Amino acid sequence: MTIDEQTPAAGTVGLKASAACWLRRPRSRRELIDRLFAVQSLFALAVVFAVAIAASPTRNGENLFLSTGNLGNIVRAVSEIGIIAVGMTFVVLLGGIDLSVGAILGLSAVGTATLMVDSGLGILPSVLAVLAIGAAFGALQGYATARLGIQSFIVTLAGLQVARGLARIWSGGLGIPIAYGDGPKEAPPAFEILNGSFNGVVPVPAVLFLAIGVAAIVVLRTTAFARHVYAIGGNEKAARLSGVPVTRVKVAVFAIAGLLAAVAGVVHAGQLNQGSPNDGAGYELDAIAAVVIGGTALSGGSGSMGGTLAGALLLGILNNILALNNIDANVQLLIKGLVIVAAAALQKLHRTVA
Amino acid sequence: MSEALVTMTGITKQFGGVVACRDVDFTIRAGEVHALLGENGAGKSTLMNVLSGVVTDHDGEITVAGTPVRFHRPADAQAAGIATIHQELDLVPGLSVAENLVLGREPRTRLRLLDRRAMLRTAREQLRQLGVDLDPRRPVGALRVGEQQLVEIARALSLDARVLVMDEPTAALADAEVRRLFATIEELRRRGVGIVYISHRMEEIEAIADRATVLRNGGVAGTVDPRTAGPGEIISLMVGRSVETLFGSANAKTGAPLLEVDDLTVRPRHRRPGRCEPAGATLTVRAGEIVGLAGLMGAGRTELLETLFGAGAKGRRSGSVRLDGVAYAPAAPRQALRRGVGFVPEDRRGSALVLGHATGRSIVLTALHRLTTAGIVRRRRERAAVAGKIAELAIKTPSANVPVGALSGGNQQKVVFARQLLAGPRLLLLDEPTRGVDIGAKAEIYRLLHRLADDGMGILLASSELPEPLGVCDRIVVLRAGRTVADLPAATTDAAGILAAAMGQHSRPTRESA
Repeated sequence: MTIDEQTPAAGTVGLKASAACWLRRPRSRRELIDRLFAVQSLFALAVVFAVAIAASPTRNGENLFLSTGNLGNIVRAVSEIGIIAVGMTFVVLLGGIDLSVGAILGLSAVGTATLMVDSGLGILPSVLAVLAIGAAFGALQGYATARLGIQSFIVTLAGLQVARGLARIWSGGLGIPIAYGDGPKEAPPAFEILNGSFNGVVPVPAVLFLAIGVAAIVVLRTTAFARHVYAIGGNEKAARLSGVPVTRVKVAVFAIAGLLAAVAGVVHAGQLNQGSPNDGAGYELDAIAAVVIGGTALSGGSGSMGGTLAGALLLGILNNILALNNIDANVQLLIKGLVIVAAAALQKLHRTVA
Repeated sequence: MSEALVTMTGITKQFGGVVACRDVDFTIRAGEVHALLGENGAGKSTLMNVLSGVVTDHDGEITVAGTPVRFHRPADAQAAGIATIHQELDLVPGLSVAENLVLGREPRTRLRLLDRRAMLRTAREQLRQLGVDLDPRRPVGALRVGEQQLVEIARALSLDARVLVMDEPTAALADAEVRRLFATIEELRRRGVGIVYISHRMEEIEAIADRATVLRNGGVAGTVDPRTAGPGEIISLMVGRSVETLFGSANAKTGAPLLEVDDLTVRPRHRRPGRCEPAGATLTVRAGEIVGLAGLMGAGRTELLETLFGAGAKGRRSGSVRLDGVAYAPAAPRQALRRGVGFVPEDRRGSALVLGHATGRSIVLTALHRLTTAGIVRRRRERAAVAGKIAELAIKTPSANVPVGALSGGNQQKVVFARQLLAGPRLLLLDEPTRGVDIGAKAEIYRLLHRLADDGMGILLASSELPEPLGVCDRIVVLRAGRTVADLPAATTDAAGILAAAMGQHSRPTRESA
């Protein structure tokens, strides 16, 4: 492929429409399509939302899907995967993949329960220790891929086993229930806040997810660090020759992914009132699905955090509406698989057209 | 005159409001090499994309052997006997030469299994017909670029190609490989194949082309006989004006020594085949001076520049390097950049740019830390810096948000320069800075180099096109097998002098040129 000639069409590749461009009327159908695709994951989210409303069962004339309780359930259910997916987005933008996040979630849930219940630590020290472990675990993986030059797929595949093993050893292989109270072997009742909601409407984990997501969007848009992530993902050699501190950035990105997986682990322990070493199995794949539906290229260097947030919500709504309609769990899996392929195909189609 | 294999008449193609081709007539006759010339953006690629069925919604007519045709997809063009040898070759590196040659048409045994013997026989026969001496069992990935190209040509011919389009076939070839390619082209010509030859190298056009058609701004500027026309006429057809001083004038004022390399030798921890690390390199670059780095392919020019930028092979080093009189041994590009050394690598797409990323972002990548407060990029300062460099280097782009990949080769290279200059270097290391750049942008880059040198920057320029260092540089350092073998003033040297030094006094030219 040569891009030597003046091919205006090539100008649309991976371009985000600027604000000024949005205020103008689209000059052609081609441009209109481009604009829709610029926010395609939001667009897809809106479509799925609309379909969900239409497909929702009703009780006494009330749309069950739209009920406050149900919407709360959706964002609560989405929040753990969503938080993990935020970290995964950084890794995928870098051109890597992190398979260990589900296992780190399990390790962190176990850690949270053990430290609070068995070791009798307070909330803050327990949580901080767990987050530190998650971040350190991620950083170590980042260092291994950067310095040893092993693909992150392999490093984190190994990390998955290690984290799962650590979780089993730490917990003795059993789930550790969290009882609340002031006595020994009881966790501080304040930790139960993760099970609660603001005003009884907005679940606390969802707010946490939203806050982390917004912070990540800001980081990706404004920081030099983010530019470095995109540069490495686009062309690592070029990034290195341009003076990007490649090792440092990789370590930081995997540390972020580990840290956010640990956050999700704490949330998980709080929501289930226990920490089990098998928690979070397969979550890494759901997180990757959210990233892919959000339009981030697995090859690295292009994509957005907003897309991932929309992708995570889309998967949550899908799960919810299928469950509301009592669709068989196995059939649910099937439908989810088709949606992921459809999302990827849509992006491919757009790139080919452009 | 021999028959016309393909006639293109009145080809017109617009992209949006931009006319890429305007009423172009182009014929390819049997057994001729027809050079297609023009600056980047002149319409060469579009015209060839029309010919190969990539661009289908064009005006005008194509006839193949007298019959009007309409291509709807690349496969149609292939079926009509038109094959394109791209710069990026379409071979599977992990498969053998033979497997690549029969790819998609593998001979089968009666049991529908792969018939290896028949495959090897066919492959040998195809290579032999082309006069190519290659073991068909070798994996393509282990071949040199030039050999891969020959495999690609053999494959095109096995698909009954009558017309071959070659897009800058010599861009990545060593001299010996170029000679081999030309011998193959000669053989193709004898067999009545028509060849469209796209190149920026004037001396090649003179050597092998029967006709040269020059495109300018999408239209035909003229068709000439390159053996009589001479490069001056062709260049003025390309740019639409005469270019007297392509290289600009050498400058006289030079200052204190900036970079002093004395007997630099690197013994790499891991020896990699095909690389020639510095082994006794000695040179000085003064402030305000442009020093050329010449030598045959594989003489270690790139490796020396990489070592000086902290991007070379890791290993034990001896000898001394001083920058501004202070010891200088960068272990990573970051350290080199911090000391005020910039580098423009040879492979623009592979080592410098992310083609999908916006032009503005590509320009600020290296100097980002200077546009940042507490880790946050200051957008206004960034925009100002980008706009400044786009204006200063006259980078032709609709906006700073356009992906670099959509710019022409010359403008992509200017983006790489802009990125380096924004970081404010005092010493600039350039590796083939005008490769794949059209002649207009070349002249601009040379002017820029002189201006930078006048401002006191030191420049070390490695080039494999001898006229370049001869025209641009003050002095030329010649490397051979990683060692400095000559340090010549450009004013009193010619190509023959450089070549003699590069090949060694007791000339055994074939060994190093391989």
